[in-house]
Amino acid sequence: MKYLLKSLLKTIPVLLLITMIVFVLMRLTGDPVSLMLPENATAEERDTLRESLGLNDPLPVQYLAFLGDLVKGDFGDSFRYNMDALDLVLERLPATLELAIASMIVAVIISVPLGILSAIKRNSVLDLFITGGAVVGKAMPNFWLGIMLILFFSVTFQLLPVSGRGTLAHLVLPAITLGTGIAAEMTRLIRSSMLEILGQDFIRTARSKGLRETVVVNQHAFRNALIPVVTIMALQTATLVGGTLITETVFAWPGLGQLLVQAVNLRDMAVVQAATFIIAIFVILSNLSADLIYRLLDPRIKYE
Amino acid sequence: MGEELLKVDGLKVRFKTDDGYITTVNGVSFSVKKGETLAIVGESGSGKSVTSLALMGILPPNGEVVDGDVTYKDKDLRTLSKKDYRKIRGNDISMIFQEPMTALNPVFTIGFQLREPLMLHEGLSKKEAQARGVEMLRNVGISDAEKVMGRFPHQLSGGMRQRVMIAMALSCNPELLIADEPTTALDVTIQAQILTLLRNLKESSNTSIMIITHDLGVVAELADRVIVMYAGEVVEVATVHELFESPQHPYTKGLLDSMPKIHDVVNELYSIEGTVPNPAEMPQGCKFHPRCPFGDEECVQTHPNLLNVKGDHAARCIKLAKKELVV
Ligand SMILES: Nc1ncnc2c1ncn2[C@@H]1O[C@H](COP(=O)(O)OP(=O)(O)OP(=O)(O)O)[C@@H](O)[C@H]1O
Ligand SMILES: [Mg+2]
Repeated sequence: MKYLLKSLLKTIPVLLLITMIVFVLMRLTGDPVSLMLPENATAEERDTLRESLGLNDPLPVQYLAFLGDLVKGDFGDSFRYNMDALDLVLERLPATLELAIASMIVAVIISVPLGILSAIKRNSVLDLFITGGAVVGKAMPNFWLGIMLILFFSVTFQLLPVSGRGTLAHLVLPAITLGTGIAAEMTRLIRSSMLEILGQDFIRTARSKGLRETVVVNQHAFRNALIPVVTIMALQTATLVGGTLITETVFAWPGLGQLLVQAVNLRDMAVVQAATFIIAIFVILSNLSADLIYRLLDPRIKYE
Repeated sequence: MGEELLKVDGLKVRFKTDDGYITTVNGVSFSVKKGETLAIVGESGSGKSVTSLALMGILPPNGEVVDGDVTYKDKDLRTLSKKDYRKIRGNDISMIFQEPMTALNPVFTIGFQLREPLMLHEGLSKKEAQARGVEMLRNVGISDAEKVMGRFPHQLSGGMRQRVMIAMALSCNPELLIADEPTTALDVTIQAQILTLLRNLKESSNTSIMIITHDLGVVAELADRVIVMYAGEVVEVATVHELFESPQHPYTKGLLDSMPKIHDVVNELYSIEGTVPNPAEMPQGCKFHPRCPFGDEECVQTHPNLLNVKGDHAARCIKLAKKELVV
């Protein structure tokens, strides 16, 4: 518990740093005013707007003002949507989390059995097939896989919806699209981790006790092999929360990725800040949970 | 004593390596009788561990038994179904290993690992297995047994882990305990304690023990009979008394001569010249001839058979047949 609290406290400077970087980058790379006003607006009109938005103040002053609002939970309003930026982001968050979790589930369902299988049948035809498949799965671009899945399942066989969010059926194809690449990487990782563990002395001990091979593999070996895999899973989950733009676009999935890219293009600063902040929190949370699971799985790691 | 518990006949094991197949156990035959302690000695790489893993049926995936018979009681272990073989492992025949530090699973508690064979072979409930586990730990001299059941392997010392391994191996009352260099990795005082444990086991039960060791001191202390292995072959079989009194094979003599003697003031410790040959480059004829002080042309030409010397005492040397070897 103390450990958890300490880790959470440590994330505060990280979050602060992220807001600062985003802030500076957004201010330095363009002027939102030109996009907010019509093309034929006069220089005076622009300047008035700039002044009213506080954009003429020195950068540090602007940043401090931003921080002052931030501690109140106020990221400002989106000028594009004319609504509170944080509300806008939180509105999109469930869609993103839903897709991230579903993709991880797909990845685990595919990679765990295949990784174990290719490890215990190493150098067999099956192993070759699985490791080859993993290379292909990793190399396949998401937009291509997404479109292929739509063509096959939605257009040709009309089994699943083409795009959008709503029912569980809507979730299937985007989750498979995202899950496949992750599954490919995890399969290879589980395979090599299992291979290492299966050569250990304690596996020989487990066999010498007369345990069934499935118990030796799925319990004695897998519990150990899982330890390095968990870290990668957490990193992947973080990536899913942050950047699934392509898949979101292909399936018209109303997630954070689309919102963020749009906001960056429009210099919608409040939204960019709010979105990166929320994404950062999830990245930190998934790393933290990886750490906790790691400790849970490996009793050799001591707290503190 | 007398009834054969385990009989190994012409055992041949090979491994698949990057450079093709290597045969590391080549025609090994011996038997373990009920209640006896059999020692297997020989230098590193002579095939002792491979032999024991082969008869347990737990060779590494690149190894296979290619010839020979292993008979336990009246069961032919090589043709036994996987399921029936598992019923023997950890139950009738159990094994402890050289490396206590790595022999236990790091992510499970001692209790979990100790309960496992009991629940599997004896059909005990978790609670019953827990109680038996505690009892087993006490039997191997662990006083705070309840506490140790809840510990993870990394929280115990090497000596403690080996005790746990012994408790685990003995938990289902095996008829045969195979101990592969159970003391090699431990410091001297702990070695003595583990040996005492094994001696108590030998004296208090009818369990047969097959102990693999480099240490002739251990042999003298525990064994009834001895097998000397060299380069994947048995080169001498004898009772412990015969072996120490009248060793027949030049290799055995070399081993005995290189044993430090407490009473002698030894200036220079004798050791056999050279090393065990690499299985990929086995010498022709007698495999020991390049290192043998008596080796000659005939030894290069002829691979000797095991030759009975006296009673059950046998050795693999052609000089014996011709009585050329001065014992
Ligand atoms: N998995 C394996 N693959 C290839 N060769 C192996 C394998 N395991 C053992 N060997 C070889 O088999 C031979 C016999 O090994 P073994 O472990 O039985 O020796 P040992 O007599 O037990 O020696 P030590 O006293 O060092 O334990 C060695 O040459 C070893 O290199
Ligand atoms: Mg060995």
